[in-house]
Amino acid sequence: MRKIETELLVIGGGATGAGVVQDAALRGFKSIIVEKRDLTHGTTGRYHGLLHSGGRYVTKDPKAATECIEENIILRRIMPHCLEDTGGFFVTTPWDDPDYADLFAENCAKAGVPCEEISISQMLKEEPHLNPDITRCFRVPDGSADSFLATQCVAESARQHGAQILNYHEVLRLVRNGDKIVGAVCHDLVKDEEVTIYADLVINAAGAWAGKIAATADIEVNVRAGKGTMIAASYRIINTVVNRCKMPADGDIIVPIHTVSVIGTTDVDVPDPEKFAIEPWEVKLMLQEADKIVPGFSNMRMLRAWGGVRPLYQETKVADTRDVTRAYTLLDHETRDGVTGFITITGGKWTTYRQMAEVTVNRVCEKFGVVRPSHTHEEVLPHLFSSGHEDSRGYHFLGSRLARAETNKEYGNFICECELATREDVEKSIIEGDAKTFDDIRRDVRLGMGPCQGGFCTYRVTGMLHDLRQQPIEQTNVALRDFLQERWKGVLPILWGSQLKQQRLDELIYMSVLNADHLPGETASRLGPSMYEPGTEEDVPADAHV
Amino acid sequence: MIKQNDLLVIGAGLAGLMTAYQAASRGQKVRVVAKGWGATHWHSGCIDVLGYYPVDATGPVVDLKTAVAQLIADNPKHPYALVGLDGLQAALESLQALCAEAGYPLHGSLETNWLLPSATGTFRPTCLAPETMIAGDLHQNDPMLLVGFKQMPDFYPNIVAGNLNKQGKEARYVMLNLPMLANRRFNNAVLTARMMEQADLRTELVTALKPHLGEAARIGFPAFLGLHQAMMVKDALEQALGRPVFEIPSLPPSVPGMRLHQIFKRAIEQHGSYVYDGMEALRAERENGRITAVLTEAAARPRRHRFEKYVLATGGILGGGITTNIDGEAREVVFDLPVSAPDSRLNWFRQEFMHKEGHPIYRAGLTVNEAFQPVNGHGPVYDNVYAAGTTLSHCEVIRERSFEGVALATGYKVGISI
Repeated sequence: MRKIETELLVIGGGATGAGVVQDAALRGFKSIIVEKRDLTHGTTGRYHGLLHSGGRYVTKDPKAATECIEENIILRRIMPHCLEDTGGFFVTTPWDDPDYADLFAENCAKAGVPCEEISISQMLKEEPHLNPDITRCFRVPDGSADSFLATQCVAESARQHGAQILNYHEVLRLVRNGDKIVGAVCHDLVKDEEVTIYADLVINAAGAWAGKIAATADIEVNVRAGKGTMIAASYRIINTVVNRCKMPADGDIIVPIHTVSVIGTTDVDVPDPEKFAIEPWEVKLMLQEADKIVPGFSNMRMLRAWGGVRPLYQETKVADTRDVTRAYTLLDHETRDGVTGFITITGGKWTTYRQMAEVTVNRVCEKFGVVRPSHTHEEVLPHLFSSGHEDSRGYHFLGSRLARAETNKEYGNFICECELATREDVEKSIIEGDAKTFDDIRRDVRLGMGPCQGGFCTYRVTGMLHDLRQQPIEQTNVALRDFLQERWKGVLPILWGSQLKQQRLDELIYMSVLNADHLPGETASRLGPSMYEPGTEEDVPADAHV
Repeated sequence: MIKQNDLLVIGAGLAGLMTAYQAASRGQKVRVVAKGWGATHWHSGCIDVLGYYPVDATGPVVDLKTAVAQLIADNPKHPYALVGLDGLQAALESLQALCAEAGYPLHGSLETNWLLPSATGTFRPTCLAPETMIAGDLHQNDPMLLVGFKQMPDFYPNIVAGNLNKQGKEARYVMLNLPMLANRRFNNAVLTARMMEQADLRTELVTALKPHLGEAARIGFPAFLGLHQAMMVKDALEQALGRPVFEIPSLPPSVPGMRLHQIFKRAIEQHGSYVYDGMEALRAERENGRITAVLTEAAARPRRHRFEKYVLATGGILGGGITTNIDGEAREVVFDLPVSAPDSRLNWFRQEFMHKEGHPIYRAGLTVNEAFQPVNGHGPVYDNVYAAGTTLSHCEVIRERSFEGVALATGYKVGISI
């Protein structure tokens, strides 16, 4: 078994873990982060992509709202290339309590969330597809965020400051010596071998999985998994984030991000962050609610559905997961459980990852008895995989890739035409990004995320990957099949109409023409996707949060 | 003068084209209307009749005739059962005669399947293959050289060679960098196929390729050896390279499929009938159990087509002839004919994308009687409506690898008997 020693070991390659390892590296700690799959494979890569203004929480959780707006301003400064400055609306539809609007505006002012009411005619001028029966509209500084890219950029910054990023390293168990955690035993999924990493301090940033990690050392951490289901529709039907102006509920937000519009979310308590279904009732409810914001939304072509699990920390049991605070929790297990060498950071939202990381590393400094201030709020993040075609303020915008293709005359160079990902993008992801699976490439360059869901690019990437890696052909074959299966996973819940037709075309290509169902080697690898549980006939529950 | 209007065929895939060709060559006045191009532009350009049977068999069908007979015995509602083995054979022979006459011979028979290299390097079983492909047959052991082009992102000879080697076949590959392609901003199979009909690209190709030939006894290319003059391009390359050459179909658009489309279209037009692309059939008008007209839209101009008989060849879910919705309903779009489909969306799919049995929803389709009239519980829904091709139920044409065979055989049968 291999052994590695370090000062800090961070568990969990989501936004929080990457943020912690970056902050720690910037403060001069020798740090390693382990993630069981690719970075952002967990909740970070499975949310709707909202850069919160804080508006959603001004009434229910004002503390969280204030954190959001503080961080919103910082993120716009340090990672504009990962953000779209879409702006956001809070709108009162005929289904919403009209009295909430004034309360909302009042609470925005209290929490420090900038909020300006605009006329309905102005709203419709900016977003003509919105429901004309909307009666009030408030503008807030929401945005959308590429959470894959952002986390990769944070990790790259960490790497540049000496941190080691070990993805596809799954923690099997913490190593506990009496009352001290001294490291963790990991499974390197690529090499299929065990690695023990010894550290002076272990930071558990595993989000919804934090309870499972702590449990391997007999420490109880009650993190509940609140599943949220989201659906991406094929078009950018709106260019502004639109929230219903009411207390947060199911299906009350549409986020325009890259080439799609995402409707979110549900909130269902699930016993295991890995085992849950995308239920037909959730899909139905999402579309029904989306129609209230953008009439006709449900008739658009749906591309994909997915579920993310919110990490919701609670010391005592509560009934409704949305009532649990979105504000984060830092657990020092020395004071809480009498176990040294171990800290858990959990809860929170993508938007507040940096603040969570700062608070965590502050505690690390205290523990080590050193004074080293955080710099992440002023550390502008490096560019990765991205075009360099941002807008004049440095933000990403929908036309960025097209602008690049037109400047460089790369029309013949697209590997993924849906998302305008070029040969160079894919090569960069494979070589510099050290992609292990096609799905890693997808997260880097949005490969296969458009209408054909990998129909054309999967074969092309197979050829490119085999050329660049010079690996045994069976390894390439199974990578192709893993990716087709991964794409299938997310289309299953929304397959009807045009998208069903598309999937049949993909069968024609991969079975009739390419005969890829008869490739030599394994049909699935351990790096392949784990499927959602099959859905049930359950109807929309009477207590659905609408 | 009264215009003779015998037959309206809806859909211009292989089923619709075969129906129209057979009817037109028997003196009927036929009009084909299609929303867009059919599967000819997407498929391999070969005629699969039955590649794997049972569908979870580990190897491909060897004795094709016996396997089809077995399928008919096992599944008496399968479209092949309605056509019969003889009907299937006659359909294939008719297509072969048509293609031979057009100077683009298709080879093969119901005796056995070819095993042609796919663009992933697997052994692809197929019944009829154009002469441009058969030198790739993997029943032979001659070493092959596979040729790709840096500027053509839709074909990867390294994968083909890698998997053929893995399966005991001698194969090498080379990626060429041709200045004539590099000078262009965009190259797909169709554009390069057109260029291959000119001598200068072929000369450049041969010059670049010659140093790599080595021991190779046959040379494989992506399927781009000319769109209109495939045999000329093939002969010219074979002469220049001194070895047989063959094509491997890859990602759409399909050049070999487009050749078949052209051959059919020309033959139909030679018999005084017409094929209209970009004319979507929207709905039908009916009276006393008969269809009196079909309405189409093209360039925003509605048209009413009044014919004696109507053939629906709109190709099921893939072709768009059957649409589905979130409530788990499947609907035939032109005549609103009854469609068999699993009743709940939960029962439409299996968890594995490439599941051997296929996904139950793709068996959704029309049930027809022996005359190929769509039926409900009582009999034919309309006296003068017929259906052909993959819009029919009781088959899984992709898992069976019977996609083109079902289209041609049913189209043939409807076309000769209508």
